[in-house]
Amino acid sequence: MTLTFLIHQSKAFWRSKNTGKSVVMRVVMAILILYLLLNVLVVAFFLDRILKKTNPGQDILYSFNSYILYYFLMDLLLRFQMQELPTLSVKPYLHLRIKKNQLINYLSLTSLWTTFNLTPILLSLPLLIKVVLPEHGLAQFWSLLVSIIGLTLSNHFFSLWIKRKVNLNAMWMLIFFGTLILFVSLDFYFKLFSISALSAGLFNFILKNPLYCLIFLLLALVVYILNYRYLKSNLYLEELHTADTSHKSSTEIPYLNRFGKAGDLVANELKLILRNKRPRSVITMSLMFMFYGLIFYTNPTFSGYSGIVFCGMFMTGIFIINYGQFMFSWQSAHFDGILVSKVSAMDFFRSKFLLFTFFSSICFLLTIPYVYFGWKVLIVHFIMFIWNLGVNTLLVLYFANQNYRRIDLSKGATFNWEGVGASQWILSIPLLLAPFVIYYPLNLLGYPEAGLALIAVIGLIFMISREFWLNKLVKRFQEKRYLIAEGFRNK
Amino acid sequence: MIGISNLKKKYNGVTVVNIPELIIKRGETVGLVGNNGAGKTTLFRMMLDLIRPDSGEVLSDEKNVAESEAWKDYTASYLDEGFLIDYLTPEEYFHFIGGLHNKSKVQVDSELPAFSEFFNGEILKKGKYIRDLSKGNQTKVGVAACMIQNPQILMLDEPFANIDPSTQIRLKNMVKDISREKHITTIISSHDLNHVTEVCERILLMEKGKIIKDIATNSNTLQELEQYFSVLS
Repeated sequence: MTLTFLIHQSKAFWRSKNTGKSVVMRVVMAILILYLLLNVLVVAFFLDRILKKTNPGQDILYSFNSYILYYFLMDLLLRFQMQELPTLSVKPYLHLRIKKNQLINYLSLTSLWTTFNLTPILLSLPLLIKVVLPEHGLAQFWSLLVSIIGLTLSNHFFSLWIKRKVNLNAMWMLIFFGTLILFVSLDFYFKLFSISALSAGLFNFILKNPLYCLIFLLLALVVYILNYRYLKSNLYLEELHTADTSHKSSTEIPYLNRFGKAGDLVANELKLILRNKRPRSVITMSLMFMFYGLIFYTNPTFSGYSGIVFCGMFMTGIFIINYGQFMFSWQSAHFDGILVSKVSAMDFFRSKFLLFTFFSSICFLLTIPYVYFGWKVLIVHFIMFIWNLGVNTLLVLYFANQNYRRIDLSKGATFNWEGVGASQWILSIPLLLAPFVIYYPLNLLGYPEAGLALIAVIGLIFMISREFWLNKLVKRFQEKRYLIAEGFRNK
Repeated sequence: MIGISNLKKKYNGVTVVNIPELIIKRGETVGLVGNNGAGKTTLFRMMLDLIRPDSGEVLSDEKNVAESEAWKDYTASYLDEGFLIDYLTPEEYFHFIGGLHNKSKVQVDSELPAFSEFFNGEILKKGKYIRDLSKGNQTKVGVAACMIQNPQILMLDEPFANIDPSTQIRLKNMVKDISREKHITTIISSHDLNHVTEVCERILLMEKGKIIKDIATNSNTLQELEQYFSVLS
C-alpha cells in the first residue's frame, strides 16, 4: 500500500501543471541541500580538532558528550520552525477500503526523509569512528550511534506531534516555548543545573553501560506511538483541516477611506495579509529583518556607507521585496473577480503603491533607533527609503506583470517554493545591484557622499515621475492580464 | 445589448467556441444549455474579457469588451468561486462590491434584508469567512453580490448547481422579477432544463462550441430539449 501511495505522489508531482518549473526548483533545492550537507561533513571531519580548540585540556569525548543534549534542544527548536508536516492529501483515500494505520504509517515513514534526520548522524559519525572506535571499542561506538539515532527519531516525531497540536490550538506553542525557555534559563541564568553536565554524565554512563542506549530507541518508539495515536484519532477531514471556528468579525480600517477606491483595495489587501497564513508569515519575517542592522552595525570592521546602503535598503524595503515579489499571485484565488469587477487597472496599481508606502514607512519608523550608531545611519536609511519607494516599487510591479503562478494562501512560507519562478530570481538582480552600480563608481573616485546623493535624487525623480511609469505599467498589465488570469486558474 | 461576431477560441487545435453571429437584445432573458465541454463557460469568460478570443469580438453596448472597460459599470457576473474574495466575511464583500458602485455601507446594509429569504439565515452575521462557507452558500453570496450592483446585464454560470431546492425556486423568482421589473438582460447557463425553460424567454443550445439551436421558449421547448439530449446519450 505504501508503494501505491508513493506512486500516486510521484504521479501527482509529474502530472501537475507546473512540473517543469518545480523540477527546476527541486534541483536547485537539492544542490543547496547538498552544499549544506557538505559543510556539515567538513565540520564533522574536523570536529575533534574543533572540540580540542574550544575546550582545551578536556577529554574530546567528554566535551562531545556534553554538547549532545544542547544539540538536540537546538534541533528541536529548528525543526519546530522549519520542518514540514508530511502532506499526502489523504482526502481521496479516507472513504476507501484502506486501513487508517496504513495511511498513518505512510505519513510517518515519508516524513523521515528530511535533512534534519541526516545531519546529526553525519555530524557525529566521523568523530565516533576516529575517537570512540579505536579508544573504546565497537560496543561503545554502537551505543553512542544508537543513542543519537534514537534521539533524532524522538525529536522528529515529537516535533511532528507538537506542530500538529499547535495547528489546532496555539496554546501548545506557548507551553512548548515556555518549557524550553524555562530549561535554558535554569541552566544559563539561574545556574540551578547544567544541561551540559547532565549530557556528559548521561552519555559517559552509556559509554560504560552500552546496552542502556536502547532507552533512547524506546523513547523514540514512545514518541512515535504518541504521534501515531494522535494522528489516528484525528484523521478526519474537518480536523486535518483547520479547526479554527472562532467567530470572525468584520473589521473596518477607516483611515484608508480617504484614498478612494485604491484605499478600499488596500483595506482588502491588508485583510488578505492578516487573515491568511502565508502572507502573515511574510510580515513576521519582515519584522525579524528589522534586527538585520544589529549584525552589521555592531561589527567594528564594517565602516563606510556601503553596508548601511545595503542594510537600509533591506530594512526599509523588506516588505516591498518580500511581499512584492509574489504579486499578483497573492490574489490568484480571486483574480477573475477583480478583472470583471468595477476596479480599474489604474486603481489596482495605485493601491499597490499605497500598500508599499504604508509598510515601508512603518519599517522606516521602526529602524529609527539605529540612530544610536550615528546620524549618518539614519540619513542613509532615509535615502534608501526614498529609493525603495521610487525605484524598487516600480521594479517589483514591473515583474509582477509577468508572474503567472498561483499561490495557496493557507500554507506556511518557510521552504514553500510555490509561486517561485524565474521572475523572482531575475527580479533580485536589479534589486540588489542597482544602488551599488550608482554608488560604487563615485565611492571609488572618493566621493561616497555624492554617490548617496545620486541615489536619493534618482529615487526622487522616479517618485515624482511615478504617474508616467504607472501608465506604462497599466498598459503592460492590459496586455498581460489574460495570461496572468489563465495562470492563476491553474491549480 | 450584446453582439458577438466571428468569435472563435481554440485550445490545442480543438475549437471550443465558434460563434459566427449572435445578438442579445436589451431585456432578454437567455438560457445557455449544452453538455459538459460544449463551451458555455469559455463563452462566458470571453464575454467578460477573461480570455482573449483567437478571433472575433464581443460587443457590449456597441463597444468591444476587450478594449473598453465601460461594460464593467453595468455588468454583474458570477461564474465560480474565483469571483469571490474568500478571506472576507460576506458582509465585508458586499460592502466592497457596493462601494465599487458608489454605494455606502449603510445603503448596502439597507438592501441586504431583501435577501434574507434567499440566504435562509446562513450567510449574514454568521461570523464566517467566505472560504468557510459551503459551495452552495458561496453561490448565494456571489449571486447576491451581483444583485447589489444593480446591473443591466447579469451573467450566471450554473447558478442552480449547488443550491438547495427552495433556494433554486427563490433564485428563479428573483431572476424573473428583476428581468421583468428592471428590464435586465440576463444570461444563465444551466444543466437543469426545467429551470432554464421556466426562467428564460430564449434558449441557446450549444454543442462543440457552436450554437446549434436558438429557440424562443414556448410550451414545447422543454420537450424539444429533452429529446435532443436523450438522442445524444
